[in-house]
Amino acid sequence: MKKVFITMLLVLALIAPMFAQGAQEEKATLDKEAPVTIIFWTHEDAARQKLEDQWIKEFMEAHPNVKIEVSRKDAEGLRQGVQTAYAADPKTAPTVWNLPIESSHEYIDAGLVAPVDYEVVGFKDADDMRNQYADGMIDAVYKDGDFYGIPLELTNWCIFLDKEVFRLAGLDPEKDYPKTWEEMFEVSKKITVRDGEIIKRRGFDFRYSYSLTYFVPMVEQLGGSLSEKDGCVNEAAWIEALTFMKKWADEGLGNSTLTAPRKLFNKHNLDIAMANTGLYQESRILSENPDFYNSGEWMVVPYPVFENAVNNVAGCYYGHYYHVNSEATALQQYWGWELIKYFLLTPGHAELYLTQVGLIQPLKTLMNGEVYQSMPFSEVFSADFARSHIVYYGKGSSAIQKQIDTAINNVMLQGMSPAEAYKQLQKNVLEILND
Amino acid sequence: MKSKVKTYSIERKQARYGFAFTLPCLLFFGFFSFYPIINAFITSLTNRKAVGKTWNFVGFDNYAYLFTQSNGGFSLLNSLKATGLFTLGCFIPMVVIALLLSVLIMQLRKPWQKKFFELSYYIPAVLSSVVAATIWRIMFQPTGLINQLSNWVMFTSGRDYKWLTDNGMLVASTIIVYFWKYIGYFTILFITGLASIPPTIYEAAIVDGSSRWHTFWKITLPLLKPTVMLVSIMAMLQCLKTFSTQYMFVIGGTARKPIDVITMNIFYTGITNGYLGRASAMSIVLFVIMLVFTYLQFAAQKGGEDVEY
Repeated sequence: MKKVFITMLLVLALIAPMFAQGAQEEKATLDKEAPVTIIFWTHEDAARQKLEDQWIKEFMEAHPNVKIEVSRKDAEGLRQGVQTAYAADPKTAPTVWNLPIESSHEYIDAGLVAPVDYEVVGFKDADDMRNQYADGMIDAVYKDGDFYGIPLELTNWCIFLDKEVFRLAGLDPEKDYPKTWEEMFEVSKKITVRDGEIIKRRGFDFRYSYSLTYFVPMVEQLGGSLSEKDGCVNEAAWIEALTFMKKWADEGLGNSTLTAPRKLFNKHNLDIAMANTGLYQESRILSENPDFYNSGEWMVVPYPVFENAVNNVAGCYYGHYYHVNSEATALQQYWGWELIKYFLLTPGHAELYLTQVGLIQPLKTLMNGEVYQSMPFSEVFSADFARSHIVYYGKGSSAIQKQIDTAINNVMLQGMSPAEAYKQLQKNVLEILND
Repeated sequence: MKSKVKTYSIERKQARYGFAFTLPCLLFFGFFSFYPIINAFITSLTNRKAVGKTWNFVGFDNYAYLFTQSNGGFSLLNSLKATGLFTLGCFIPMVVIALLLSVLIMQLRKPWQKKFFELSYYIPAVLSSVVAATIWRIMFQPTGLINQLSNWVMFTSGRDYKWLTDNGMLVASTIIVYFWKYIGYFTILFITGLASIPPTIYEAAIVDGSSRWHTFWKITLPLLKPTVMLVSIMAMLQCLKTFSTQYMFVIGGTARKPIDVITMNIFYTGITNGYLGRASAMSIVLFVIMLVFTYLQFAAQKGGEDVEY
């Protein structure tokens, strides 16, 4: 009996390391030339599509065994699509995909995306990867000693301003641009043109469905915050920020049912004076309305703060990271990282993403380089980056964003008091966090 | 030993062929309708989420939650109310006006006139719901066509009728879009029913000196009973399942609560917030409601005699 036990123990000791090395051996024994299909899902962006389609073509020519099936959807459609694909069967979900970090982080937590294959993408290890990027910019995809995605873009929003609309209202854009939210209110009042009750021209309006990015910083300026532990912290700050939104609607300066300002801005039809958007807007103005782009009639100014702000924070920045599905086959994962490397880390590509699409990859070499510095108003974006932080991407971020959107909607369109809207918001946010 | 000889009647043989021909259809329905219903019911008994690897059976907890909790401010009870309001506001006028339109079209003497109106009314039904809702949302904006038309009709100037921002007007807007989209479809169904009534009956009525009004109430409507039942059930089920109009409006920035119909709540709960178990429970509730209403409609119309020409 004793002999049998000892023999079993020895056999066990012999085979245990074999299991431990299983994954490494799988990678080592991978037939990299075997035919493989990479399912690549991303959001629509005409300028980026042009670049990436070319690179995909080059990649498939260089690696004839790799077939890349691309699917592009609008931002919300992509979020829903990725989620539905994983819910149906993670193994058949897209191999490579990207979402804003506030939507993709839950996949990292659930173990549904793979850690970066440093060897394939050309980093020595996690520390080496961290050193390549600007401080703190890739922390959102770091967990338990590994990174789980490579940034396609980190974006912050400043205020794009149409100088002609300012002048039509008798304002000097260089001097009178709003530095505080109170000034934003007053300037917008002066610029707004109405036919009776109907708004014909707006000064500024918010990006209503992205409240984590634009509204939470307003709350933070007033001393509040959004916490994974306690929800909407500092009732007074939240109510004050909601009161500002209510005042905005009551004054008839705008609301969420009107056409989004960034869609009007490029047209230069004098329908809108200011839009809250990112550096990528520059390439969109250039492609949609080159005359306006070259006219010198637009400029970018910093994100405003409240006059009584206790924190000088700008709008949050958010990140889109390329991820690889951890449930995909080892071969798909390998080629998934190869593809991401080709997109993002091939010399010169980061500069092309920046100049052709307006996307900022937070690589130190890019952000400190001449190309970035020479982009119009890049110094405004850099200065706002310095006083901002990444968007909330903790538990239930997507659902919480919808709740904040609803609270804003309640005070602006439903006639609810800011205090009641806050009460409901906090209750619902805590329910999401405690679930 | 005598062997037993099997004999088949003609009816049994026909029944076998009939079964063989309907089998593909049964399999199709079994796979695409019954399987999802059963699967949804099983999922409704779990705490399954869209993003996650594990889940557990939780019994009827999801159902209890839906009837007692606010579901993040968008309760099932509010959705039942919104769906009920929309269905009542849309389905009854739609059936009545589709019937009137069909009778009017049938009165036209020239075939090209009939074809023209049939086609004109039917075209919106062919259009994608998403496209239709998007176009209407633009028209409902303060600077849009509908608001301008409202000002013209009401002899006002520069007034914002708040088609998208006032709760009542918002509900009315969704009803208008849906009504516009499907009225032609149900009109065509009524026209088909009217065309199947033998003209000899009308000829006899004319000979007997019946007026048009009298003929409609005493001949057309009773003989159209099977079509009325079909159209009313279809229209009601269609209204209970409404989704894209409301969804496109909410995506466009309108308030969600007044038009948070059950299907949209299912979508937001399951797809946006990722609570698949809870969303499945909601869809089972909707299924039961539709089943009950269909049964009640059948029962209500069963009382009369069968129609025979």
